[in-house]
Amino acid sequence: MPLGWIDYTILALYFVFVLAIGIAIRRRVSTSEDFLTSGHSVPVWITSLAFLAANLGAQEVVGMCASGAKYGLMTAHFYWLGAVPAMMFVGIFMMPFYYGSRARSVPEYLKLRFDEKTRALNAATFAVMTLFSSGVSMYALGKLFQLVLGWDFTSSVLLSAAIVLIYTFLGGLTSAIYNEVLQFFLIVLGFAPLAILAVLKTGGWNGMASRLPQVMTHSWRYLGNASENPMGVEVFSMVAGLGFVLSFGYWCTDFLVVQRAMAAESMSAARRTPLIAAFPKMIMPFIVIVPGIAAAALIHMNVGYSLPMKEAGVDYDQALTTMMAKFYPSGMLGVGLTALMASFMSGMAGNVTAFNTVFTYDLYQGHIRPNAPDRHYLWVGRAATVGGVALSIATAYLAQQYNNIMDVLQLVFSFVNAPLFATFLLGMFWKRATGHGAFTGLLAGTTAAALTHGLTIAEHKGGWIATLHSFPSTMAQNFWIAIFAWSTCFLVTIAVSLLSAPKPEKDLRGLVYGLTEIAHDAGEPWYRRPGPLAIVVAICLVILNVVFW
Amino acid sequence: MSDLRLPIGIFFAIVGLLLFTMPSARAPLTEVPVNAYAGASMLLFGGAMLWLARRKS
Repeated sequence: MPLGWIDYTILALYFVFVLAIGIAIRRRVSTSEDFLTSGHSVPVWITSLAFLAANLGAQEVVGMCASGAKYGLMTAHFYWLGAVPAMMFVGIFMMPFYYGSRARSVPEYLKLRFDEKTRALNAATFAVMTLFSSGVSMYALGKLFQLVLGWDFTSSVLLSAAIVLIYTFLGGLTSAIYNEVLQFFLIVLGFAPLAILAVLKTGGWNGMASRLPQVMTHSWRYLGNASENPMGVEVFSMVAGLGFVLSFGYWCTDFLVVQRAMAAESMSAARRTPLIAAFPKMIMPFIVIVPGIAAAALIHMNVGYSLPMKEAGVDYDQALTTMMAKFYPSGMLGVGLTALMASFMSGMAGNVTAFNTVFTYDLYQGHIRPNAPDRHYLWVGRAATVGGVALSIATAYLAQQYNNIMDVLQLVFSFVNAPLFATFLLGMFWKRATGHGAFTGLLAGTTAAALTHGLTIAEHKGGWIATLHSFPSTMAQNFWIAIFAWSTCFLVTIAVSLLSAPKPEKDLRGLVYGLTEIAHDAGEPWYRRPGPLAIVVAICLVILNVVFW
Repeated sequence: MSDLRLPIGIFFAIVGLLLFTMPSARAPLTEVPVNAYAGASMLLFGGAMLWLARRKS
């Protein structure tokens, strides 16, 4: 894919602006809280878009377009079912405890609600996972740019990592959040024209649908039976596995996204952050998935478009870049590639800023040096930023050398994540839940996830203990692993909690439903109140699902 | 930084103008002048951001 001077100019201009924002923000950073938590001072429209952008990494954008080409509109369930309901839940029900407890991180909330060992378990696994995710994302970007543009892997990785390091090192979380907003607009304006051009080329929505099997342009119609859709999942595992366990586990407990809402200037703003973010989130499938669906239609049109092949078959991961090469001339191609770089940077900066906060407050202050002056923690936060980026780069190279180890690690981390939402649900809504219960439940849930994987098989994956059941796809297997892990954690946490002594109610005020006063913002206009805002989000969500049934 | 809309507005206004300098560039699968339309959209968006930032200040 040849680039012209204008493409490089746009990319360079973007680098200049993200660095300038970091430099401008630096003047606002004088304490560790400024650096690591933004001092709870960011306006709500900014936290909302950052909440969304931190999840819009390059792998997400490229992967969703690939899934659109492979599975069709059912991929939109990762947004409409697998994100928006959970975003509504965290805004309405969970944010009052995260923000109201004045915890500086999600693991710190676990310490306040349960105990130190539960926090340490969550903090340590989260810190390793964020670095790992950041490194794998960096590896994917380096490989993609090497494949598509012929750029050197090392140069792509080091240049993008260096820029993220500079602006996060200078301005901390605020700088990352502000840049995420610029990156969000770039992603939308960089990819939306592709969706429009590609659909127009196939003859509009109806023309595109007529060139594809019907299952490719419907989200729910073919979910009755796993054999009727290319994902190989049926409605129960889709709703319970993706729509409940995995979705709520990620959007409600992952500090990477929750941190953006916690940076908001008030409780009301923190609660509205995921609700406002839900509006663009609902629209994102039309920007990142539809080009993939159009790519699948174009293949049947004899217009000179095809997807490259790889050993295992069609290389769907190249759907986005090959479509850009066919529909974007020099100029807009630079915008599209800059958007791809921006999506990588927003994802990486999200990981790095979440890592440095958890490392500084939950691991370093919590276990290594508890009572140091604040300027020391500011220094540690900055050092953790450098260390986090360096370890991410090392992980990217490790992924390049040992791809199988990365797959195994990713699997292990999914086992750890799956039960987490049960711990938070019981912690926030059942005052009888105890620290021993939460800790044992998390370990039991992780074990259940590993056992389910070891006893079932899908697409030659799993079954390392025995094969008791075969799933039609790894996606169905993942959804069921999550369901078993969550259920086990939920039941074990309840059982052990009932056998152990609860915390006194006075220690649970502000942390548990029923012992916390939740403001209802009476007197504010409807769009400034979380409840009515959530109702509007729900109505829009229902309309979308009905229209694209 | 007083208002984030200022750098965002400037960025998209510049990118919009740059795209406008190459309206005749064509891509293999479309006859649409992509740069012209996208450039105009970005100019409008950048202008709106700058107007919002100026109105606030």
